[in-house]
Amino acid sequence: MVRHVFINCVLCVHFTEQVHPEEGKLEWREMTDRAANTAFMIELSKGLGIVMSHLFKEPATINYPFEKGPLSPRFRGEHALRRYPSGEERCIACKLCEAICPAQAITIEAETRADGSRRTTRYDIDMTKCIYCGFCQEACPVDAVVEGPNFEYSTETHEELIYNKEKLLENGDRWEPEIAGNLQADYLYR
Amino acid sequence: MSVLPKFRTFFKIIKENGGVVGSFLKLYRTEELKDGTLVGQDKYGHKYYENKRYFIARSRWVDYADDVGMDYDGSQVPPEWHRWLHYMTDDPPTKVPPVTRKYILDHIENRTGTHEQYVPYSTTKPKVHAWQSPRAN
Amino acid sequence: MATLLRLWPLKRGLGCPGFIGTLASRAQSTAPEKIEIFVNDKPVKVDPRSTVLQACAEGGVQIPRFCFHERLSIAGNCRMCLVQVEGSPKPVASCAMPVMKGMKIKTDSPDTRKAREGVMEFLLVNHPLDCPICDQGGECDLQDQSMNYGSDRSRFTDMEFAGKRAVEDKNIGPLVKTIMTRCIHCTRCIRFASEVAGVEDLGTTGRGNDMVVGTYVEKLFKSELSGNVIDLCPVGALTSKPYAFTARPWETRKIESVDVMDALGSNIVVSTRGGEVMRVLPRIHEDINEEWISDKTRFAYDGLKRQRLVTPMAKNAQGQLVSTEWEEAFFRIVEKTVSLSGDQIAAIAGGHCDAEALVALKDILNKLGSEALCTEEVFPMDAAGTDLRSNYLMNGRIVGVEEADKLLLIGTNPRYEAPVFNAKIRKSWIHNDLDVAVIGQQPDLTYECEHLGESPKLIQDLVDGKHPYSKVLAGAKKPMIIVGSAMFQRADGAAVHRAVSSLAQTVRAKSGCGEDWRVLNVLHRVASQVAALDLGYKAGVEVIRNNPPKVLFLLGADDNTITRDDLPKDSFIVYIGSHGDNGASMADVVLPGAAYTEKNSTYVNTEGRAQQTRLAVTPPGMAREDWKIIRALSEILGVTLPYDDLNEVRERLEEVSPNLTRYGDVEEANYFKQSEELAKGIKQQLSDQPLTPPQLALKDFYMTDADITSITDNVALRESCHGVGQQ
Repeated sequence: MVRHVFINCVLCVHFTEQVHPEEGKLEWREMTDRAANTAFMIELSKGLGIVMSHLFKEPATINYPFEKGPLSPRFRGEHALRRYPSGEERCIACKLCEAICPAQAITIEAETRADGSRRTTRYDIDMTKCIYCGFCQEACPVDAVVEGPNFEYSTETHEELIYNKEKLLENGDRWEPEIAGNLQADYLYR
Repeated sequence: MSVLPKFRTFFKIIKENGGVVGSFLKLYRTEELKDGTLVGQDKYGHKYYENKRYFIARSRWVDYADDVGMDYDGSQVPPEWHRWLHYMTDDPPTKVPPVTRKYILDHIENRTGTHEQYVPYSTTKPKVHAWQSPRAN
Repeated sequence: MATLLRLWPLKRGLGCPGFIGTLASRAQSTAPEKIEIFVNDKPVKVDPRSTVLQACAEGGVQIPRFCFHERLSIAGNCRMCLVQVEGSPKPVASCAMPVMKGMKIKTDSPDTRKAREGVMEFLLVNHPLDCPICDQGGECDLQDQSMNYGSDRSRFTDMEFAGKRAVEDKNIGPLVKTIMTRCIHCTRCIRFASEVAGVEDLGTTGRGNDMVVGTYVEKLFKSELSGNVIDLCPVGALTSKPYAFTARPWETRKIESVDVMDALGSNIVVSTRGGEVMRVLPRIHEDINEEWISDKTRFAYDGLKRQRLVTPMAKNAQGQLVSTEWEEAFFRIVEKTVSLSGDQIAAIAGGHCDAEALVALKDILNKLGSEALCTEEVFPMDAAGTDLRSNYLMNGRIVGVEEADKLLLIGTNPRYEAPVFNAKIRKSWIHNDLDVAVIGQQPDLTYECEHLGESPKLIQDLVDGKHPYSKVLAGAKKPMIIVGSAMFQRADGAAVHRAVSSLAQTVRAKSGCGEDWRVLNVLHRVASQVAALDLGYKAGVEVIRNNPPKVLFLLGADDNTITRDDLPKDSFIVYIGSHGDNGASMADVVLPGAAYTEKNSTYVNTEGRAQQTRLAVTPPGMAREDWKIIRALSEILGVTLPYDDLNEVRERLEEVSPNLTRYGDVEEANYFKQSEELAKGIKQQLSDQPLTPPQLALKDFYMTDADITSITDNVALRESCHGVGQQ
């Protein structure tokens, strides 16, 4: 107990020393230097000089939206449902993405389409629930659901982020050139 | 390191950006003046530049088409250039053309806040069919 | 056709006891001394008649299997159940191997594993890898077992690009979907069809790699139990057509409930997802449905989504029913009812009402001073009538038929009135040498039966001993007489009942089966009848026809037993129910109720067993549970019923008839003597009209129960009866 108190006291002393640095020496020479420093705003102009020098240097920040940062081809952004080259939607309603989704953001309903194939009638992703883990695209046996490269889909309302099947297919149709390129770039590692 | 090349670059940048007036307008719009080679232009009129003198993340940029004016937005970059602009590939679509599919749609920008914004709706039929009484007579 | 091990006909033909028979039947023979065997070096005492597979199960080891099924004969053709037996040079198929004393079985040795892995590899060579689009995915035996015994890589190299074996899909009807490429030839479906369902529709053609399961020629699988092959199929070769692609087993909630499509009260599991019933599966209840359910039970659920009453409705000025608010609907009823005396109010209960609603309706009408509470289904009220419970129950119980040795069916076709019960009769016919005789028009019952004739007078002849069959009955040890409730709908229903009950008494006296053995059995057709009679409803609408009321309540009554023409012009009809049909069409006010999957409610089956359905999904729209509607109405009518929640209603049920809340138990009744004494007073004479069961063809089976299944709109079943009709 006693020892603790002692340690605390030592710390206290140390702390005060740092916050309140010792006053300068009261000798003429040093006092004149300090006065000149203050009178001619030496430190201020030094700082201003640094600022001015950076004005002509290359900035370290990127000028979004004109310049954009590097992304991986595996970047997991906005979801999309893809199609086969024939235009047939890939999704077969196996519901593996729905099953694996840790945030339970995906809702699927399915039925037999008129031609007898297994297709979804509802494919909703709540983008506000999604945690962008990418498990859905890992689980997909037909590469139908992918997390595309787009991240610039912020919205003003919540409801716009409740994506339905049409929206997701449309995403796929718009982003296919890039999605296909990214998948191609990465196929050896999957 | 002499100062002279810096001045040369400065004047080159002014020149490439359309002289003093052009540079001023450019600076007003993009808050930055850069020099670079034009890599290509997409069908919406956005121009894509590259200058490897800048570090990666600044070495490629887009000059949004004039008709968007000050309403430029990051989401206006179409996917084929998006890929190059984000350094996912070094091959611009002018060099390696992207896949063509007949179903591919034109790119659109993020339309939130406009009257064309996406509004969710149900894609399924109603679960329960209510009974309607047969018409009297 | 590949030879299947069909041991059951031999059993019937030769009458030899074999372990096959004991597997499937509940033979009451004395168990022989148990022998000791060793399962993985653990000593286990087992019945010497059991197979190695069963012995291992007793030792706590589950052997993988595809073809073996407890309720079917043994085929032994999948080879997945191979085990190593010490001393045997080769692995043995445990499902077909009887145990021997001191047998040392290794179920998990490297050799066993290797053998099973080999079998699995062969199965997977031809099984397609379409699990993502297969409806069995998630509940597939092959999927599960390939996790254990499947190789992580394939040796299947398709050098010639010949592809895997592909088999053409068969169209066997609108209920069962076939994807025959997935078939692994376990022959469970074939054995089910020929043994349980009793239709020899399915079989195999070809040998080896060319073996194909099918119907030989293109035809429908015409059985009222056809849906069960979906559950039996260990892979996705046979799946449900209405359920196709709609849900996955892991995303559904399973609620244990009871079926109301027939009076058996088959136990079911209702699978729901997102407030929608996705499918209905059987639940094992050894005394009722074992693990089978009829097609109607299984496929009627899509009727729960059609023609539903979702809002209260009232007639507008043009006489058209339009949606309205609950208050408005109630006020309309009160307006009409409040000035009336009790005898101007009546109620009819339909075939699918639960006991809670029935008791609430009875209480409210009694409080209003009315006693005119009827059921649609007629039952003779003369003499003892429905006062003695034994008059209207299947007293001998459903399992009783497994012990019986002589069975007389009078005017009933159990195959379509209670398909699962018919399967039980058939089982008893196969394994216990049950003799079946039929009076009334002879249906195809899937088993042999002696047809005695069609006239009801035959019953009297049997009582008097004039008919030769009366000797057979007298010689029976455990005779059973089952009379279809449809026979009481006849004009001479009371006479039929009198004749049948005196026949039952005579047979009991002559055969000497003892007081404990119940001879007389009534097979009801609708699920609510026993509960309604227990609660004191009058069977039949005669009362109402004789004394037309001003206000008539219809509780799910859709059979048009009372029409507008039977009532005075200004009468007011209130319909309470789940589906819009005849009843709702003629009503002035419609109150939307809940269907059987949407409420916790009590149903009593034909043997007097009270069972509960459970709420699987909430009633659609503004619909509410029926008893709650009546309770709310009572408050507005000023005769508030003294119960506010389900427990209190059930307490009331218990007050009226204690058996109604003893869930799972059969409440027995034994007043045959008294009943017969009283029945002697019945003067009605038997007519000459032949006894005709209402459902004789499979088509009829699919077309009944229109009110709840809304079969006019029920796609699967409608197609089914079209299909059956065309053939």
